[in-house]
Amino acid sequence: MVSKHRNETIRKRHRFEEKTGWEDINDPVRDRASHKLRALVASAIVFAISLFYLDHIFQIQINDHELYTTRAEDNRIRVRPIEPIRGNILDRNGTILAESFDTFDIVAKKEKIVSEENFIINAKKVFKFEKLEVDRLKKEFKNKKLKEITLQKNTSMEEFTKLSVDQYLLPEMELIVKSNRRYVFPESTSHVLGYTGKLSENDFDSTVEIKEGMTSVGKIGVERFYQNLLSGSPGFEKLETNANNEIIRVLEKKSATRGSDVYLTIDIKLQNYTYELLKGQRGSIIVMNPHNGDILSFVSHPGYDINLFARGISSKDYKKLLQDKANPLFNRALIGQYPPGSTIKPFFGIVALEDGIIDKSKVFACTGAYKLENYKRPFKCWKKDGHMDVNLSSAVASSCDVFFYRLAEVSGIDMIHEKLQKFGFGEKTYIDLYGEKTGLLPSREWKNQSRQTAWYPGETLNVGIGQGYFLATPLQLANATSLLASGGSSVTPHLFLRSIDRVNNEVSNFNYSDNKNEIEIDTESLHVVNEAMWRVIYDKNIGTASHIKKIDSLEFAGKTGTAQVYNLDKGKTGKKSLQDHALFISFAPFESPEIVVSVIVDNGGSGSAVAAPIARDIINFYFENIKSKVAMQ
Amino acid sequence: MRYTTDEFSGISSILKIDLKLFAIVMIIVFLGMITLFSVSSGDSSLMVKQGIRILIGLVAMILLAQIHPDNFRLFSPVLYFGGIFLLVLTIFFGVGKSADRWLDLYFLRFQPSELMKIFVPLMIASFYSDKSLPPKFKNLVVAAFIIIVPGLLIAKQPDLGTAILITTSGVIAIFLSGIRLVHIFLGLAFVIGAIPFLWSLMYDYQKSRILSFFSPDQDVLGSGYHLVQSKIALGSGGLFGKGYMNGTQSKLDFLPENHTDFIFSAFGEEFGFMGVLLLITLYVLATFRGMSISIKATDNFSRILSGTLILTIFLYVLVNVGMVIGILPIVGAPLPFMSYGGTSMLTVFAALGIIMSIKSHQRLMRK
Repeated sequence: MVSKHRNETIRKRHRFEEKTGWEDINDPVRDRASHKLRALVASAIVFAISLFYLDHIFQIQINDHELYTTRAEDNRIRVRPIEPIRGNILDRNGTILAESFDTFDIVAKKEKIVSEENFIINAKKVFKFEKLEVDRLKKEFKNKKLKEITLQKNTSMEEFTKLSVDQYLLPEMELIVKSNRRYVFPESTSHVLGYTGKLSENDFDSTVEIKEGMTSVGKIGVERFYQNLLSGSPGFEKLETNANNEIIRVLEKKSATRGSDVYLTIDIKLQNYTYELLKGQRGSIIVMNPHNGDILSFVSHPGYDINLFARGISSKDYKKLLQDKANPLFNRALIGQYPPGSTIKPFFGIVALEDGIIDKSKVFACTGAYKLENYKRPFKCWKKDGHMDVNLSSAVASSCDVFFYRLAEVSGIDMIHEKLQKFGFGEKTYIDLYGEKTGLLPSREWKNQSRQTAWYPGETLNVGIGQGYFLATPLQLANATSLLASGGSSVTPHLFLRSIDRVNNEVSNFNYSDNKNEIEIDTESLHVVNEAMWRVIYDKNIGTASHIKKIDSLEFAGKTGTAQVYNLDKGKTGKKSLQDHALFISFAPFESPEIVVSVIVDNGGSGSAVAAPIARDIINFYFENIKSKVAMQ
Repeated sequence: MRYTTDEFSGISSILKIDLKLFAIVMIIVFLGMITLFSVSSGDSSLMVKQGIRILIGLVAMILLAQIHPDNFRLFSPVLYFGGIFLLVLTIFFGVGKSADRWLDLYFLRFQPSELMKIFVPLMIASFYSDKSLPPKFKNLVVAAFIIIVPGLLIAKQPDLGTAILITTSGVIAIFLSGIRLVHIFLGLAFVIGAIPFLWSLMYDYQKSRILSFFSPDQDVLGSGYHLVQSKIALGSGGLFGKGYMNGTQSKLDFLPENHTDFIFSAFGEEFGFMGVLLLITLYVLATFRGMSISIKATDNFSRILSGTLILTIFLYVLVNVGMVIGILPIVGAPLPFMSYGGTSMLTVFAALGIIMSIKSHQRLMRK
């Protein structure tokens, strides 16, 4: 059989060869060898390419493994921060000034909404939407970027409970919890508390600690200064999401830690009372305890509604505040810089006595003006006819300018600059608020640097009566006055009383023992000046504030000041913005002072007529309503 | 009368299949199925569908293995021109999402281009079976036409990936037929010269795919997104992988087409480099086994056809893997024996059936 088949094949080939000739004849052996070679070459190529591929895959899977692992994790893991509850701010008696509360945004996820039409119809029913709201919903449906429809923002729990009766109509409703800040006394406490706002770029290069996951931060005031205490720590949820950003599961969860509650030294009753006293005026009032630095009242009027900021102020409202002529956003108590005027006289008096420039019986004659060599115009006393012969005590009580011109001329600017520093002029008080201004205690050096001119003797005279370049903040005046009241124990004014960690209820009190720094004030000199300040109110003949109503139960001391604005003659202009600033510093009770009150009314007129009665009312209110309550407790 | 070889016995002799090649391929199929199970997160409907396709493929393979290679040669012109006819029909009546690749015959929807993956090598092998080898230039030109006509028709659909693959498989057939080196260089020069012309014929999405291949990170959510996610899947797998059913890229849908074109990445994510090494080795072994069958075949037709078919299958592996690892542009080519999809599975099993037919019907060689 085999041979027959072979013979057949050979015969076929012979026939083929005859037909086509030798050249075209396939040689099976050669074809086979050629094919084998090519097949082996192909196999080698297959092998080589495979190695090349494996090398490339090795690069991806082994060498770049970490890189791609990170990217895979980035793909699937979303970290969702959990905002902590911000601590409350309370006054010294535990009255809440600022509190956190939850509101809810009612939303509906688009993918859960079956029928857009029915949804809108039902939403209309449940929320009693008007056309405007319906249009907003339709817009949100059209916006492909939005994954959910917002039905109602900032809903309280009670409101939602009412709405949820109709939940069967809108089963798609979901709640998103939002933490909000509410200020109970938004205007009177505005310049103390400040406000919180959305975290912004600027917050990162500041002293506050920005923790991952925080979205809001104290922007100003106590909210800012005690941000780290109040904020607590955000928690987070590590979520696994798929490519459509749908949450598959929670991988890890850490709850947020509530912020500490902060108690302030402020007494809100006093704060509100003092705020009201400035109604219709621009100005500031500070009430502080001279022995420990507690600020009982810290007012800058007008204030503004800090709740607007907490909710996220509209640009319209913000513009309105900015354009308000009374400048409500300006914290006068902290950054307002005023010529201290005659309120500087007690301090200048003390350093002059201490330095032996005068003694308490030294008498200068006041003829209503003081002539300085090379100056054509005389330096006027506020009293045209003059005060006749005055010593330091009567000069303070009657606020004689000529006496202090003379004293300034004798002392010289260098002495004034050097010695007045001990009362804190020209320097921050370091109260626990950011942005405090230093005021200006002028010196030759300062003038040289800032004006590139020499110091003129006439300028010394102006400084001697708290005018000229001299500037002080209301806070500095209160701080300096407290040194007179305490007899030299220097305390840093502060708003912080204590904080309570809401996790373990641990109380941290203000460290009073570190807040005392005795400075040397000569007792005799202090006595002379304090008595002169008593005379301001009680010496019927010469006291500049002797006309005000007295307080039955106690005596107090003070000093009026009328700071000239733009060097105009006092009160002559009818234009309010150019009128003098009215100042008054005081402490009470006179024998053993417990509070210091400093009042400044911008362009208020004279200190004795405008500022002194305000201080008197505050002292009265304090000892009638606050002090007695404290005693009773 | 029957001729048997030493390895030709038992059930495989009755079914006329090559046990070694079959075993290797079935391991690959198994790996494909478990990967499919993982990426579908246990959705058994995909598994069932794919299982049915594999069964159909196996049946087709066994049926084709029974047919004598001479019959393939005899019918090759009919099959080839029939395929061309269907391609022309597809241009006019084709359906499909982005490209008209599918022909809807009401009872059956299929891609005629898929048929050409086998018919083109078949036609070349058959054309050269009675020509003197190495082929003369005249016969090379004819072969080039056999390749280029379906190539252009498929590119017109537009399905550039398949067009290039089919053209390349034709070129492989010509190479195996014993083309002279001179002609190889001539051909290369021609192809390089044709590239600008082809580029101008391309659709924008094809161009953007090729461009995205060169800078995949530039448009992460656009056309480069696929490759970026594929590399992340592979790279995060590391040496031993994330473990079976633990792939995050594939299971959370970051890896697109994770059960079709990018199944290799899904596999590599869960089984790591070791798994990839095993898989590539299996494909190489299958190719080597096919080449060994081709070398042992007794006539030019069988040699060229079996060699071309197995190399074409390997070419598909190279194109698919090359595209998911960023060596080649994303053209949309399935991974043989693994990717989810009916047509491709049927084609590769059919090719396997023809190879097995050649293996089991070969005459004994004289020593």
